[in-house]
Amino acid sequence: MRDITFGQYYPVKSFIHGIDARVKIIMTLLFMISVFFIVSYTTFVFMFLALTIIIAISRVPYKIVLKSIKGILFLLIFTAIINIFFTSSGNVVIPIKLGKLVINITDQGINFAIKMALRFTLLVLGSSILTLTTTPTELTDALEFLLKPLTYIKIPVHDLAIIMSIALRFIPGLMEETDKIMMAQKARGANIDSGNFFKKIKAMLPVLIPLFVSAFRRADELADALDARCYNASSKRTKMKVFRIQATDIVALLSFILLTVFIFLDKYLVGSLFSAPDLGGLEVQGLDVCIYNLFRCITG
Amino acid sequence: MAVLLDNVTYSYNINDTHRVDAVKNLSLHIEEGTFVALVGHNGSGKSTLAKLLNGLLLPTAGTVKIFGNSTLDGEKIFDIRKDVGMVFQNPDNQMIASIVEDDIAFGPENLGIERKEIIRRVEWALDKVGMLEYRKRTPFKMSGGQKQRLAIAGVLAIMPKILVLDESTAMLDPQGRSEVLKVAHELNKQERITVIHITHFMEEALDADRLIVLNDGKIAFDGAPKEVFAHYEELKKIKLAVPWETQLAISLQKAGMDLGEGIVKEEDLVDKLCQLL
Repeated sequence: MRDITFGQYYPVKSFIHGIDARVKIIMTLLFMISVFFIVSYTTFVFMFLALTIIIAISRVPYKIVLKSIKGILFLLIFTAIINIFFTSSGNVVIPIKLGKLVINITDQGINFAIKMALRFTLLVLGSSILTLTTTPTELTDALEFLLKPLTYIKIPVHDLAIIMSIALRFIPGLMEETDKIMMAQKARGANIDSGNFFKKIKAMLPVLIPLFVSAFRRADELADALDARCYNASSKRTKMKVFRIQATDIVALLSFILLTVFIFLDKYLVGSLFSAPDLGGLEVQGLDVCIYNLFRCITG
Repeated sequence: MAVLLDNVTYSYNINDTHRVDAVKNLSLHIEEGTFVALVGHNGSGKSTLAKLLNGLLLPTAGTVKIFGNSTLDGEKIFDIRKDVGMVFQNPDNQMIASIVEDDIAFGPENLGIERKEIIRRVEWALDKVGMLEYRKRTPFKMSGGQKQRLAIAGVLAIMPKILVLDESTAMLDPQGRSEVLKVAHELNKQERITVIHITHFMEEALDADRLIVLNDGKIAFDGAPKEVFAHYEELKKIKLAVPWETQLAISLQKAGMDLGEGIVKEEDLVDKLCQLL
């Protein structure tokens, strides 16, 4: 049986787990946007430090959080390489000549690639903290609440939320069913695990077809069950669980806003106060410049 | 009158020219507070009948009335669904949320009931099916009987007057079946909920007030279980087996043993036989 903890929710009690899911979603969004405005290496270090502290507070083991990066490692390296090879502006550091083809690796390319990789890592870490500390149900409910304004432009937010929660609810069942069908086909001599990539895909067909048939049958029965439980009976649907913003939620949100402000100040203000020194290949901006100047002052 | 079916026919379209009547000119009255077992082999129309009861299917001809409201009346359909709680065969395909209490709350939330009342109902419904301690859990990895009891709780939270179990015991192991039946009987006795239990296990009808045997879309037998079981030879012809103890009792009686009338249960039979020895 595969690991079927979807959204990898890690069930412990912590301050982060206790924050209102809506606040957490807003914080994650804020974080994701601000990550793209980070310019200086100092701020990157600062952000990683902040995340480390947040993970510590959330009581989710670092190993589990880091696992999420493993999934995008390929993408990370791939984009970094593309960035290195296809940025032509800046000073040439390593010129590469392949016959007529000339690829120049520039200092700007390297800086850009490093920063992009750091941004990606921050993005993935940040969003996985959200899914690790929030149950799927809380997430759906929070999304439903946050998207509520869309009902004014006739988007059926509640139906979408129900669809999402049903999807989350059926993933373990469908996984189990896939396993069962695979075992049944194996018992009848199907060769699913060996062969090359294309052979494997072709071998999945006898698994997928029964799975689809059963998924549709389930959907049919579920539709009857929804109707039988008065789905759509009232336009004034109520909720058993209501969100209540607590003081701690506000504290968490405010500290996050401060962090965002800090990043924006770094990009738009700090850097422009001093002129950037020439440090060979290393591109320094914002706070980096301050720290560089401070360092120079101390060492004379 | 809780349920009133008047000359109801329901036909499925097989293709453009072909129609099959799953229920044919069926008339039926069910009094409030009775426990009715509805038995029939596959294709006898029992599931169609169940779906006619809460307007999931609408009759092709005739009328279905629940406490006087016709299922054909579009404005009354939610009143009917509020009165007729229906539990289906596969417990896995009836749950909406991943957490037990969220799932139970789904019905009352749909009805727009006030929050405090929803919480009260969730607790009440879970308590009624003996699953209160599972309220924060996920139904995944629970036994079939437990899941089906949760499905019943989900329906109970709507506070129905009629509970329809549409082959709800068919996929369960013997223990799960007895758990579900026990809950159904308790609800019938304590809360005076009319129960319509649809099954193909004859022995599950033993404790019912009334047994209706459906064959080919029509009522073949209707009466107290004892009375219906007496027709065991005719029941065999429509592929239904009377519980063996009942059959044994009737056979012994035919062979000249004086067992008295209406022996249906194993305990009664053993008692009587011991007395005779």
